Amino acid sequence: MPSSTSSSDQAPKGIVQREGALPAGLRRTASDRPGEAQPVPTRDIPKQPWGRIIIGVAAALVSAAVALEVNARERIGLHAGDLDNSEIAWSDEKLRAAGAPAAIVGDSRILFDTDLDRFEQLTGVRPIQLAIHGTSALTLLETMADDPDFKGVLIVGLADTMFFQPFDGYGGYVKKWHEYRAPYRIVSNQIDHALQRRIAFLDSNYRLSVLAHRLDRDFRPGVEGPMDDIWKLQEVGEHRATHLWDRVEYDPAWRARTRWAWKGFKEKFPFTPQLIAKGQARAKAAVDKIRARGGEVVFIRPPSAPQLRVNEEAQVPKAKGWDVLVSNTHSIGVHIDDLPAARGLTLLEWSHLSRKCATVFTDAYVRRLSALTPRLPLRADAPPPLSTEDCVAGHGASS
Amino acid sequence: MIFNSLTFLVFFALVLALHNAPFFSWHQKKINLLLASYLFYAAWNPPFVILLWVSTVVDWWAAQWMVRAKRERTRKIWMITSVVVNIGMLGYFKYGGFLLDNFVALASSAGIAYHPPKWDIILPVGISFYTFATLSYTLDVYLRRAKPAQHFLDYALFVTFFPHLVAGPIMRPTELVPQFASTRRATPHQLYFGLSLMILGLFQKVVLADGFLSPVVEKVYDAHEGVPMALDAWVATLAFSGQIFCDFAGYSTTAIGVAMCLGFAMPDNFRFPYAAVGFSDFWRRWHITLSSWLRDYLYIPLGGNRHGPARTYTALMGTMLLGGLWHGAAWTFVVWGGLHGTYLAVERWLRGRFAGWKPGPLAFLALGLLTYVLVNITWVFFRAKTFGGAATMLRSMAGLADKPIPMIALLPMVYAMLIISAIVGTHWWMRDKTLEIAVERTPSWLVGSLLAVMAVMILSEQGKGSAFIYFQF
Repeated sequence: MPSSTSSSDQAPKGIVQREGALPAGLRRTASDRPGEAQPVPTRDIPKQPWGRIIIGVAAALVSAAVALEVNARERIGLHAGDLDNSEIAWSDEKLRAAGAPAAIVGDSRILFDTDLDRFEQLTGVRPIQLAIHGTSALTLLETMADDPDFKGVLIVGLADTMFFQPFDGYGGYVKKWHEYRAPYRIVSNQIDHALQRRIAFLDSNYRLSVLAHRLDRDFRPGVEGPMDDIWKLQEVGEHRATHLWDRVEYDPAWRARTRWAWKGFKEKFPFTPQLIAKGQARAKAAVDKIRARGGEVVFIRPPSAPQLRVNEEAQVPKAKGWDVLVSNTHSIGVHIDDLPAARGLTLLEWSHLSRKCATVFTDAYVRRLSALTPRLPLRADAPPPLSTEDCVAGHGASS
Repeated sequence: MIFNSLTFLVFFALVLALHNAPFFSWHQKKINLLLASYLFYAAWNPPFVILLWVSTVVDWWAAQWMVRAKRERTRKIWMITSVVVNIGMLGYFKYGGFLLDNFVALASSAGIAYHPPKWDIILPVGISFYTFATLSYTLDVYLRRAKPAQHFLDYALFVTFFPHLVAGPIMRPTELVPQFASTRRATPHQLYFGLSLMILGLFQKVVLADGFLSPVVEKVYDAHEGVPMALDAWVATLAFSGQIFCDFAGYSTTAIGVAMCLGFAMPDNFRFPYAAVGFSDFWRRWHITLSSWLRDYLYIPLGGNRHGPARTYTALMGTMLLGGLWHGAAWTFVVWGGLHGTYLAVERWLRGRFAGWKPGPLAFLALGLLTYVLVNITWVFFRAKTFGGAATMLRSMAGLADKPIPMIALLPMVYAMLIISAIVGTHWWMRDKTLEIAVERTPSWLVGSLLAVMAVMILSEQGKGSAFIYFQF
């Protein structure tokens, strides 16, 4: 007889039943009924005081949430309002970049070292922040070149070695950023950010598994463990406005660990002349593409401490990297070496500016850009210039 | 949307509230569930809802006309129409690129340079799952195992019911459609136990699979340089066995819990598979709803074991090869299926050869461990992206790698092995039990404590994780 698909079958109650040849306590599954219509499944409810259990679980969850929050704020130094810098957050900004007068791409240096508020105070323009830590600015430059809707000024911040490296780095996902635009991801990101604006412990750097892995102190010889990774370094605000985490400023141990993790920027692969030439050609093609539709590209080289700079220079000398890039692409370039107003800024962990010094650096490079391009004029009511003295007090300069 | 997302949390709360609202009739509640299920699916890619509609409408009418048909030939034509439309959509979206790549390779080997445009088609999430679910409807009606659904709404809800829609369990119409006939609402205990199952499922997925096992697997399987040492290769493969179990069984458990909170019952999809002794036992425990689907609609129609050994082995191998291909459009999945087919064939032959032999407790355990080890060999092809990658891993696992290097740090390795040991140990302990039996026999304070620990760990893991592995299938 065929089974009906239109009658209501009542699931039997109770658990311990012997079903045919099955051991006591096992229920049949589809694997026990070959070639048959499968009946309505039975799902038993174990006899337990479920109400009390669920109340207990809820109480544990609330207690744990309070404990995690107190620990995050008091012991770790996390702040509410520090938002996850996710792929979806980047793609949100990418969409905003269409038609925007200015956008920033690059690695973590231009990401941390640009104060978007200061930029806006000076020019009236708030650039879209599209830089991604650990990512080649070249990859992002090419991504923007492929976006026909972007016709503004593209500020490309670069660390020489990262720019010419033969791979995309952390932000390789930008090549398929549309895939992150599933509606549920967008909504989840909104909910996530709404919670993170109020709750500090929701930080992906402090997930249970991440912390558990970090307990490994390179115990196994020959393996790069979590100690070699870059731990939390940044705080991210609305629209990816990013700055160095203040713990790097007040915690010498954290600062030392980060410095150690940079390993002096001694890359494992050689920056051959061919590799650099290939990067120059890609950059030229991307810049030409943006200019052809009315956009503009400018290059910025933020500071790095002498401890890193010496190795960066050894791998990609300024004369072969930066100078050729600027001349080859016929672009405006603002190099930290040519920016006296931003010398001697505080580079606590050698690679990024402190939050206050990022404001000074932004002030200096935006003023220089305003002088060099008519597309980013200074506002008539722009605040007065800042200087190194506005940020270095209490930290000491980098060198 | 995925279960381990904040969007789902909000979505589920709203669905639960609507489903328990006193002012809606049962008919209206079913419409609510249908709309919610479309919303659930559209949350990935709204246009793909059209595929669901096509599948739903075609199979509904195919079944209706099958029943009304006077001649057997007409019934067959409607059945074939349903199969062609469903397999056609699956083939176009899932296997189009694969077929094209193989055609290009074949042409190239014959000296023909053929350069077609890139096959840039996005795979609709869960298409393999709902295609099989809806196909089982027309096939059951054709085989006269089931009568067609009486109401289109009930049938449409069977196809789209969000707990099983994108990653199973693959439900048969006879399992679900009758549940829509009368009002379903969870009792308080069903609701609480359903929530407990969701905690268990999400713990498996978010904490174990994504948090602790996935990084170990990726470290080795996604390494850009170097060849792993034997230890690393084995740990990564064992970790993958745990990851894929926790990922998929975690999804099924969560889905069963979600359905239970709404008052519906879904079938078991896993029965502690790493305690399997032999491969026929493994497939009665792993992805039960798929293996039974393949058995009922492929293996048996291919002849099953009714036409002599040669036909049986051919049907077995054909079923497993296609089962492999169901998992992904790549030859590595076909090899994975082929290995399982070979295992099953060898086991069948051995069972015939040693028909009277009953293993003692130690031999039983040894056979169980052997099954687990051999299953792990197949996981290498499942996880590696290329045959080259799989060969590298197998060489390393055999200790034959040239200049191998250590890849996994000590503590992640320890965590992975502890978790794997716990999973395998639990499977053996639970081998002849159901979860419900074990829970009922456990003191309530311990059940509560374990659930609390799991919930707190999900919270500490911040509840987020990557998409479920099986979505890509």
